[in-house]
Amino acid sequence: MSDTVTLSLRAPLDGGVAGLDVDGVTADRLAGLAEREIAALPVWLDARRAELGDFFSVRGERSDRVRVEGALAQVHGIAAGTTGGEMVIDGDAGRRVAAKMTGGSVEVRGSVADEAGATMGGGTLLVTGNAGDRLGAAVRGAFKGMTGGEIVIGGSAGADVAARARRGLVVVAGNAGRHAARAMIAGTLLVLGRTGAEPGHASKRGTIIAVGGIEIPITYWHACTFRPPHVRLMLTYLRRRYRMAIDDRAADGAYRRYCGDAGDHGRGEILEWAAQ
Amino acid sequence: MKNRGVLIEDTFAEGFTMRAARIVVTATNDKWAQQAALKFTGFATSVIACKCEAAIERSLSPEETPDARPGVSILLFAMDTGSLGKRLSERIGQTVLTCPTTNCFDGLPDSTERAPAGRALRVFGDKFQISKVVGGQRYWRVPVMEGECLLQESFGIEKQAVGGGNFLILAEDADSALAAAEAAVEAIDGLPGVILPFPGGIARSGSKIGARNYQSLIASTNDAYCPTLRLTTASALPEGVNSVLEIVLDGLDRDAISQAMRLGIEAACRPGVRAITAGNYGGHLGPHQFHLRAIMAEGGSAS
Repeated sequence: MSDTVTLSLRAPLDGGVAGLDVDGVTADRLAGLAEREIAALPVWLDARRAELGDFFSVRGERSDRVRVEGALAQVHGIAAGTTGGEMVIDGDAGRRVAAKMTGGSVEVRGSVADEAGATMGGGTLLVTGNAGDRLGAAVRGAFKGMTGGEIVIGGSAGADVAARARRGLVVVAGNAGRHAARAMIAGTLLVLGRTGAEPGHASKRGTIIAVGGIEIPITYWHACTFRPPHVRLMLTYLRRRYRMAIDDRAADGAYRRYCGDAGDHGRGEILEWAAQ
Repeated sequence: MKNRGVLIEDTFAEGFTMRAARIVVTATNDKWAQQAALKFTGFATSVIACKCEAAIERSLSPEETPDARPGVSILLFAMDTGSLGKRLSERIGQTVLTCPTTNCFDGLPDSTERAPAGRALRVFGDKFQISKVVGGQRYWRVPVMEGECLLQESFGIEKQAVGGGNFLILAEDADSALAAAEAAVEAIDGLPGVILPFPGGIARSGSKIGARNYQSLIASTNDAYCPTLRLTTASALPEGVNSVLEIVLDGLDRDAISQAMRLGIEAACRPGVRAITAGNYGGHLGPHQFHLRAIMAEGGSAS
């Protein structure tokens, strides 16, 4: 048993391939495997089956603490389906990082491509850089997005963040792209930067907390301006848990509450920080 | 054994196992946190008639509370889990939910047994309530006229809490008894995991189980320690004792009570106090015995 299992990508993938899919290579799975068994795990290069050891050198065994390193931007599905343990991804990663995750923690010291944390059900995904589209959202054709857990993005996120989310918390320290929280069923999206166009479209329930500015859709109506206690709790938690830099005025301040989407059940909400 | 000239009687306080919860109430400032806590802990001196025992454990700084606001930590004790849950729901609902600016959080997050008081109270929101999960804990946003009240869904239960810790201060006069009892309360005040549920931490009407002359009573005056009955009952009072006050303690564990009793007794040993004793029922009431001399010997000040 090792303290950590380290997976090092030997060389950047050829630009001509769509990418290497390592879906299922998770910390909890590696916790029970010897080094050669880890190296023999199936991966997919485009549509061809291969072994993890064909691309990664493996150091360590039987540990639920995993480090993945190298030029990983073309490696997809890292930590997808994680149920426990800790994984640190050192560098930019490809699509579907921590998708379908239900437990444990994944930290990306870089940026991630589309569909990170998609349909996630639990655990924590922390990304120090940016995220692509459909962060924490439903994958194409799925009814529900994330159903639990926490996603914290240190940078900005693309379009459709938290789309169809059913539960869980998505935090974007930078800006969020268009259609944030589209068709949200429940859960919370907190954007400390600017929230993009058409947020909360067709939202049934759920909460968008917009600290850095948002254009309120005409299908939302103003209910009141108040100090929501759960926002203060949430921001305090994020400061303490993730050491996020959050303006005191945002934690202490009042928020304008808008209810919508009028085109749907109308029980969603947008809480817009009233900066003054 | 004497401590600064005060006799420490060779006896023990008898405690019993209770269920306990720690409730953290926060508010926009200390004033409103205290207001809620004072109402919450009202009429909660003894399970004999109040169904629970409760008091403020200590004030909390914003750094110590989940929402970074001033707060108060309360301990609530009851005889069983069901009763504790009911008392929590009643008291949070009537004293925290109603109090301006307050939120209510669990103070025993590591306890696996839970009382779902917030879940019970969410229905006050008449289906307009909203749940949020923060840090793995579920909270209920209950709409109220002021805005919203935030209640944690469930509260941890300590199953091995201890009630009935006590010591009696036997003094030459009422003023001396009160001064000694106040000094004891001050010494205990703020210790973690222990409360003194009686007014100002002091009880003057210590009780015995049942009654000599009223069969229906479950408790009646502790006549052996009433100075006015010295010649009419089997008095336990030494000569020269004219007033007795009792400090009753509930704690999250034995150690919390032992430490508090030691500090309290130490502080109560002052001029005008003749002896310190304790109430027990011969070991028939509960499994916890707090022997006064052993407790004071641990502190090293008694001789």
